[in-house]
Amino acid sequence: MSENACCGCNAWECKMRKIVAVLGSLIVAVLGCSGLGFLMSPLVQKKDEGWVDVGSLDAFKPGVPAHVQFVQRSRDSWAVTEKRSAAWVVATDGGKITVFDPRCPHLGCPYRWNILDRRFQCPCHTAAFTLDGALLGGPSPRALDQFKSKVEANRLLVLPTPVKEHS
Amino acid sequence: MITLLDWLRSRTGFDQVWKVLFERHVPETSGLTAWLYTLGSASLFVFTVQFITGCLLAMSYAPTPDHAYDSVRFISEQVLLGRLVRGLHHWGATFMVVIVVLHFSRVYFMGAYKFPREATWVSGVCLLLLVMGFSFTGYLLPWDQKAYWATAVGTNISDQAPIAGPAIAAMLKGGPEIGAATLTRFFAFHVLVLPALTVLLIGCHLFLVVWHGISAAPLRRDGGSL
Repeated sequence: MSENACCGCNAWECKMRKIVAVLGSLIVAVLGCSGLGFLMSPLVQKKDEGWVDVGSLDAFKPGVPAHVQFVQRSRDSWAVTEKRSAAWVVATDGGKITVFDPRCPHLGCPYRWNILDRRFQCPCHTAAFTLDGALLGGPSPRALDQFKSKVEANRLLVLPTPVKEHS
Repeated sequence: MITLLDWLRSRTGFDQVWKVLFERHVPETSGLTAWLYTLGSASLFVFTVQFITGCLLAMSYAPTPDHAYDSVRFISEQVLLGRLVRGLHHWGATFMVVIVVLHFSRVYFMGAYKFPREATWVSGVCLLLLVMGFSFTGYLLPWDQKAYWATAVGTNISDQAPIAGPAIAAMLKGGPEIGAATLTRFFAFHVLVLPALTVLLIGCHLFLVVWHGISAAPLRRDGGSL
């Protein structure tokens, strides 16, 4: 209430108060920002896609579908769950590779490869599919579902997430 | 014109509280002695930091043997600024012990615990013990080798006490061995029991500090000030 605008104390004290106020605001800002970052973390987290290495490319002969089995690891924050999973891998002469969801699109039965008739057959309700996964006959509403795949260093990687979940 | 502030002032009387808390008289000090008087505020500040960072850490921590270590790693490696927040909590814990011991020593060597401030001293000593409790229980939570064996040593020490020792150790551990029950027990103490008691005691401690006022530094034998 006297000579100084800020607190009525002497100039040195006034300066110290200002320094403390600046330092305090800085500390609060650092704490606040780190807290905000921590809370906003789910917004910026990279999604773990979960590509699975299912084997060397040489293992897949053109025209012969291969049934591959693997362990699928899925990550839920810090909890990792493992699940046995499988896929059908079909290679063509041109080196193109298609990977099918091993469950029939009808009701989710595991279909198999019929060597004699050269077609995929479902044991449950006799749905049948060509080597390309196209629907030949039976109760399936659509062609075989595919998994995404890619080749890295001569290894085939599969993303075993079905395009459509069966109910 | 009645502003919102005026409205609040007439309903709560917060300006009176503000006056009592922040415009009270404190001893005239300067130099190193003045710094010694900042230790109480410093402990309160570190407690606030521990409280905030602790709340954040608890959001991504799972107190089970299966997930404790992985969730701590998740905080350090996956959460945005998680390493900083965990670091603040870790170093804050160490700093807390240093500061409260310095505060304790300041009060002891200046004789500030004497009449009429004995109750302030007693509540302060209880707070010091609570800080030790925080340190002991928090140390186990990362659930790594160091945490596990430090807790093994700590609980075995209580095991050595005559007659009641084994019972105390079993109650601490929640069973005969350190395991899942120990982890949940220590977690509950660390984030529920101890913080509640600490906030309560800090309230009492601060009330008493304001009530009695800060004690002046003792005079030197030759009559000069410290």
